[in-house]
Amino acid sequence: MVDHTERITFDLDGRAVVATVATNRLLIDLLREEFGIIGVRAGCDGGVCGACTVLIDGVPATACLMLAVEADRRRITTIRGLERADGTLHPVQRAFLEERALQCGSCTPGMVLLASALLAENPDPDEGTIRGWMSAALCRCGGGAAILRAVRRAAELMRETP
Amino acid sequence: MTAANDVARVRGTFAYAIDLALPGMLHAALVRSPHPHAEILAIDTAAALADPDVVAVATADDLAGLDPWQGVVVRDQPLLAIGKARHTGEPVAAVVARDPAAAARAAARITVRWRVLPPVPSIEAALAPDAPALFDQGPPEHLPKGPGAEAWREPARNVLWRFRFRAGDADAVFARAAHVFTDTYRFPRMSHLPIEPLCAVARWDGDGGEVWCNNQDPFLLRTDLARIFALPEAAIRVHALPAGAGFGAKSYPKHEALTLLLSRLARAPVRLALTWDEMMLTLSQHAAEVTLTTAVSAEGRLLARRALLRLDGGAYADASVIVCEKGAYRSLPGPYRWQAVESVGEVVRTATVPAGSFRGFGGPQACFAGERQLDAIARRLCLDPVEFRARNLLRPGEAPWPGETPMDSDLEDGLATVASRIGWSSARAPGRGRGIAVGMKDGGGFSRRSLAVVKLARDGSALVLSGIADLGQGPERVAAAIVAEVLGIDPARVRLAPIDTDRTPHDQGTHASVGAAMVGLAIRRAAEAVRERLLALAAEVIDEASGEIALEAGMIRCGNVVLSIPALFDRAFGAQGSELIGEGEARNPFDAAAPLGSRCGFWMPSFAAAEVTVDAETGRVVVERLVVAGDAGHAIDPAGCRAQTEGGAVQGLAQALIEALAFDGEGRLANGAPLLYRMPSVLDLPRDFEAITLEHGLGPGPHGAKGLGEHAILAVAAAIANAVADATGADIRSLPLNPDAVLSAVAEAAGEG
Repeated sequence: MVDHTERITFDLDGRAVVATVATNRLLIDLLREEFGIIGVRAGCDGGVCGACTVLIDGVPATACLMLAVEADRRRITTIRGLERADGTLHPVQRAFLEERALQCGSCTPGMVLLASALLAENPDPDEGTIRGWMSAALCRCGGGAAILRAVRRAAELMRETP
Repeated sequence: MTAANDVARVRGTFAYAIDLALPGMLHAALVRSPHPHAEILAIDTAAALADPDVVAVATADDLAGLDPWQGVVVRDQPLLAIGKARHTGEPVAAVVARDPAAAARAAARITVRWRVLPPVPSIEAALAPDAPALFDQGPPEHLPKGPGAEAWREPARNVLWRFRFRAGDADAVFARAAHVFTDTYRFPRMSHLPIEPLCAVARWDGDGGEVWCNNQDPFLLRTDLARIFALPEAAIRVHALPAGAGFGAKSYPKHEALTLLLSRLARAPVRLALTWDEMMLTLSQHAAEVTLTTAVSAEGRLLARRALLRLDGGAYADASVIVCEKGAYRSLPGPYRWQAVESVGEVVRTATVPAGSFRGFGGPQACFAGERQLDAIARRLCLDPVEFRARNLLRPGEAPWPGETPMDSDLEDGLATVASRIGWSSARAPGRGRGIAVGMKDGGGFSRRSLAVVKLARDGSALVLSGIADLGQGPERVAAAIVAEVLGIDPARVRLAPIDTDRTPHDQGTHASVGAAMVGLAIRRAAEAVRERLLALAAEVIDEASGEIALEAGMIRCGNVVLSIPALFDRAFGAQGSELIGEGEARNPFDAAAPLGSRCGFWMPSFAAAEVTVDAETGRVVVERLVVAGDAGHAIDPAGCRAQTEGGAVQGLAQALIEALAFDGEGRLANGAPLLYRMPSVLDLPRDFEAITLEHGLGPGPHGAKGLGEHAILAVAAAIANAVADATGADIRSLPLNPDAVLSAVAEAAGEG
């Protein structure tokens, strides 16, 4: 088997990084194994559960269905890129804690990223819009109702402290 | 209070078993049977072994010298198939390689020559007179249990287990009953599919081994590993890492022993992480056929019930025996008062994915059937479904029969609560149907013992050592709340230590919603022991003449003297510090007067009410409103109780409308991939969804606490099915109520009408 590699550069959670990757390597493996970002959760490996959701130039995508080379010259935001440098949590993260919108936590990073992308695009989404966006990931603990409460709470928090 | 683990979860820094990597760790992949039932003629591993990245290959030949059979009560499942495969996806060989891709590549190069055997895809096929036998079964074995209960091991071909419980004189009661109804219900099986699949990392060290995994039964696993490898338990060390949920998929030993064997063969640490596709082939819920014959008086009193709970156990026993016994004994009679009960449970072996623990443990199957039949009876007798149930529910303090724990919830209050919240007595909007259900399961485990240790440090922080596994149900918060209350310290200063069988006090496993009540009680007693030592220490250093010594808000007070915990430690132990240790125990003892040999720890009732609309053209059911209530006894962690209730309710809703494993005519999984197996998302949630935590205060745990981790899944599916029956007039007898099923049921009802 001949391995083809490519050198890619991208923005990972606010810092410029360089990686040499096999062209058949998945983005999820690059982020988890080379960069040690365990918050990119591995789940179904098929783009269904959404646990590995990351933002590519602000748009949610499942890292298990992307090749690492597709990250070249893009801006990748993982769950680690949401909090401030001083550790202050993003309002969506605070809202998830306030509303206890997590049980096992496997879906939490993906859910938090989905909500942050939604609220960045639409600071005051209606119920149907929230449900549409948040259906892109699955909470097998059945915590969907709490997750919806957390997204509504996060929208409030973000309006209070812009 | 914000638990540290939850902060890590939202920051994406919380580590699970699948995030663990040991230095020099190799990766394993499994070769699985493509056939539901087939004899293994030969396995050719040469091509895989020739791969330079491959370190070891294992087949049944490598099980020599081990006791390689796993299972609860009945051990019939080999670590790798021996002689034949009994379900599609059964592991037949394993490869260890330098990386996961190399392992998968090499596994694909292993060829197996098969002789395909006749399929056994269903209960019906397994019980047919000419059915092929899945096992060479021994002669039937009769096993007497406590009063009224008995069991038979392998009583007939392809029948793994039969259990029977009898209380009262059923013949006499049936003979004088005004009404007798017999109905049969069918229940499909779901896949657990926790987001994080099973994962184990094992390191064989020559004389024993160490395993890191997400199994919720570290001590049972240690015992099983010692048996399999013929080692003393002291040679085995198990670390149970936090799990990315489980719902039963991670209870009882799974592929951990195989992983340890692979480490022994490869002479290096080995990781075996299953995929979602593999999880669907590893374990499922039990499909079931339930037949209920129920006698009712002319006044609408329940008199007697004869019931058969027939479970599709799949290819191997796993936990089927105890699911069957508990489901038949505790859930078939339900929460009602009977003059006589005759419950039979049977586990039928089929050549399909093995079934085992699943949230509710036989309860959802029994509850769906029981609560559907009560509604059908109410309709036939023109009784109101709520009133009919209310007049027959057990009252607090009333035992269902001699030798069992008396009812420790106010069931009428629970029923009235959900009925009132759904507006039961108000008129329904046109086109809407309403349904109600009450479920019942035992909680707190069987003849169980839990131990806990609390260590109080000089700085006033506490560390709890307990075998309660973290599956996302929030044990850290429960432990912190309990210890903080006893010692008067901030809950944020209480931590729950990682589970390590060499250090953690023994626990019989995180089962049956034991956490808050049973383990919680052990933790509370451990904290109380620390408190006593703290007060004794204070008595040593404070002049007794000062007055009575008390611990208030984490400070020692004695007359005018006020000492902080650090100050007390400094005076007692000097600058080098020390710690105070307390231990606690909670027990649910053996009881010869109890039919199963031990009374249940507590009763876990479930109350649900649903309002639905059914689209007559498409058959689509929409749950417009759902109200679910459970009894926490005393809510130690109210937000956690709500999460358990909402989560169980969503699983019940999925069971009612969405999720079911489908098998083809030969027993192969037809939707065995995440894309093919539909699961609920937030789009499926009822717009109006209310979860209520009742606190009846009658449980055995701290302040009357009990567990409620499994309640909501019990009643929700039945309540939704009852609402669909109410909306359509159809006699719903199976799940899931997907559009096809609803249209057929409606057409059948129209034909009968």
